[in-house]
Amino acid sequence: MPPDHDLDDYVDPYSPGHRHGGPLRVGLGGPVGSGKTALAAALCRTLSSEYDLAVVTNDIYTTEDADFLRRNAVLPDDRIEAVQTGCCPHTAIRDDITANLDAVELLESRHPGLELVLVESGGDNLTASFSYGLVDVQVFVVDVAGGDKVPRKGGPGVTASDLLVVNKTDLAPLVGADLGVMRRDADAVRGGKPTLLISLRVDPAATEVAEWVREQVRARALQEA
Amino acid sequence: MRTLVEVVARRDARGRTVLPVVRASGQLAVRRTGDGAVHLVATAFGPLGGDDAEVRLVVEEGARLSVHSVAAAVVLPARGESPPSRQVVRAEVAGVLHLAPEPTVVTARAVHVAELQAELGECGELTATEQVLLGRSGEAPGRWTGTTRVVVSGRPVLHTTVGLGPGAPAWSPPVAPRAYVSTVRVGERQAAVQTGVDAVRLPLPGGWVGTAWAGELHEAVARLAAVTRERDLEVAR
Amino acid sequence: MTAALLTLADSRLPAGGHTHSGGVEQAIAAGMLTDPASLAPFLRRRLTTSGAVAAGLAAAACRAVDDTDVVAALSALDAEADARTPSPALRDAARQQGRGLVRVGGRAWPHPAWAALPAQPHHPLALGVAAAAGGLTPRDAAAAAAYLSVSGPATAAQRLLAMDPITVAAVTARLSPEVDAVAAASTVGLPAAADPLLDLLAEVHTVRTDRFFAS
Repeated sequence: MPPDHDLDDYVDPYSPGHRHGGPLRVGLGGPVGSGKTALAAALCRTLSSEYDLAVVTNDIYTTEDADFLRRNAVLPDDRIEAVQTGCCPHTAIRDDITANLDAVELLESRHPGLELVLVESGGDNLTASFSYGLVDVQVFVVDVAGGDKVPRKGGPGVTASDLLVVNKTDLAPLVGADLGVMRRDADAVRGGKPTLLISLRVDPAATEVAEWVREQVRARALQEA
Repeated sequence: MRTLVEVVARRDARGRTVLPVVRASGQLAVRRTGDGAVHLVATAFGPLGGDDAEVRLVVEEGARLSVHSVAAAVVLPARGESPPSRQVVRAEVAGVLHLAPEPTVVTARAVHVAELQAELGECGELTATEQVLLGRSGEAPGRWTGTTRVVVSGRPVLHTTVGLGPGAPAWSPPVAPRAYVSTVRVGERQAAVQTGVDAVRLPLPGGWVGTAWAGELHEAVARLAAVTRERDLEVAR
Repeated sequence: MTAALLTLADSRLPAGGHTHSGGVEQAIAAGMLTDPASLAPFLRRRLTTSGAVAAGLAAAACRAVDDTDVVAALSALDAEADARTPSPALRDAARQQGRGLVRVGGRAWPHPAWAALPAQPHHPLALGVAAAAGGLTPRDAAAAAAYLSVSGPATAAQRLLAMDPITVAAVTARLSPEVDAVAAASTVGLPAAADPLLDLLAEVHTVRTDRFFAS
C-alpha cells in the first residue's frame, strides 16, 4: 500500500475551519414552508449590493425556488443554480454533497470574485442539516405556525445550527404560539448559539439575519488574514 | 462463401469522379450506374448463415461516391445450427461518400452481423443509412447486430453496436422493435438534439446520428424523417 | 483488496450517484417501468448496454494507469467514451459523475494518475483510475462499473415508485450472475453496446423542468 493511503497519514485539508479561499458558504435549511426561499430572497436584496453573491437551490422537485428567485429578480440568472436531489434533499446537503459542490464550484468559476454563496436546502424535516463539507455556517429556519413546541422537539437543525431563525412571529397571536416559550426552549437546547425571532412580512429586509451573515463574513476574513 | 467488393473513387483532371477500381467477387456484383455511383447486385440468394462479405470503399479527395443496392438483402439461415452471416463495410473517405443500400431483412433463425468502419479525412463527408427489418411478413424475427464506427482525422466520433432480435440483451419488451433505421451524417455543421416518437437525432462533431424504430419499416423511416431534416434524407436516399 | 472494491461500489460513496436515475425517471414517465416485473428487464437493458460499455472503459482506464503516457492513454479512452455516448445528456451525466468520483477518489486514494485524467472525465475513466489507485485490478474496475450501472437505477426506481426496498434488493441481487458476466466479458476490448431507447429517454428527460434526478 502506498504510504499516503495509510489512515495514520491522512490529513484532511478540507475539514471545517481549514478550507481556504473561496466565498463564505451559508446553508439555509428548515422544514417546508418555513420561509427559506423568502429569507434567501430577502438576504439577496439586502446583501447583493455589499457582496458578490450567488445562490444554490435544492428543491425536492422542480426548480421552483430558483424560479421564484429569478421571477423576483433578486439576482441575475447566472447567479442562481438549481440542483436535482434525486428525491432525497437531505442526502444532497449532508450525505453526498457532490451535486451541491459542483454547483458552488460552477458559480465560483463563473464569478471569480464571489464572496458569499447561500445554499438553500429543499424543504425537509427537523433532522436535516448541512454537512460542513458543503457549508461554513448554517441557518435553520422554523416558523411560528409550525407550533411553539418545535424548538423543544429539537433535532440537529434546531440544536446544532449556527443560527436558528424563528420566522413569521407576526402569526404568533393567530396560531396561539408563545414566542417567549419558543425563545426559552431554543436557548435551552442551543448551548449559547444565537436564535433570532423575525417576521419577514414586518421586516422584508431580514435586517437581523443579514447582520449575522455580515458578522460571519467578517469572522472568516479575520480567520483568513 | 466469401464476398469481396472494392471500389475506388478518384477525382480526374476535369474535376469529375472516375472509378479506377470496381471489383467484386463472390455473391455481389457491382454495376456502375452513373458518375461516381454504383449499385451492388446480389448474384445469389442470401446472404446465408456463414457467408462473409467485405466491401472496401476508398473515396479520394475531391471525389464523390454513391453506393446503393438494387434490392433488399434477405438474410437466410443455413441449415441446422446457423452460424451468423457477416457484412463489413470499410470506407476511407477523403471526399464524399453516400452509402444507402436497400433494407436488410433478417428472416427467422438467421443471425446477421453488419459493420461499418469509416475513416474520414479532415474534409471527408459521409452519409450512411441502414434499414433493418426482422422477419418477413408474418414471420418470426431474426437476429441482427450492427456496429458503426466513424473516425474523423484519427479521432473516434461515433462507435455504437446495436443488437436486435431474440436474444439481443437490450431487445426486450416493451421496446423490442421489428424495424430499425439509422442515418449517420458527418461533414456538415453539428446538429442539435431532436427527439420524436421512438426516434432521436443526436449531435456528432460535424454532423449527427439519427435512429428510429417501429413495428414496420415505413413507420420507422417516417419517424426518422420527423427528427432529421427533409434535405438530409434526400441526400441519404 | 476486496474492501477497496466494496468502498468503490458502495452507493454511499459520496460521488454524486444518488442524483442520477440512469433513465429510470423517464422510463417511469413513459410508462415503461411500473413495477418490479418491469424493473428487471430495464436494469438488464442498462447493464448489457451502458453497463458493458462502462465496464470496458473502466477496465481499460485501470490498465492505462500503467501506460508510459498515461495522459494520452486516458485522453484516448475519453474520446472512445464520447464516441460510445452520442447523447449529450448522457455525456453530461457521465462527466458529472466522473467529476464527483475524482473529488472523493483523489482524497481517498492519492495517485499521480488522478492528475492525468481530463478535467471532467467520463465516470468509468474515473472509476478505472480509482481502482488502480486503490490497488485493485481492471477486472475489479469492470465489476464496480457493471454493478453501479444497475444499483443506482434500482434505488431510483425504489424511491420514485415507492417500491418495496426488499423486492428491489432481491432483483438487484438476482442480477449478480449477469453483472459478473458483463464485467468478465467487458475486460476484453472496449464494448460499444448501445440502446437508442436510453438515448431517447435521456434527451427527453433533460429538458424537463419537473424532475427529481439529474439524469
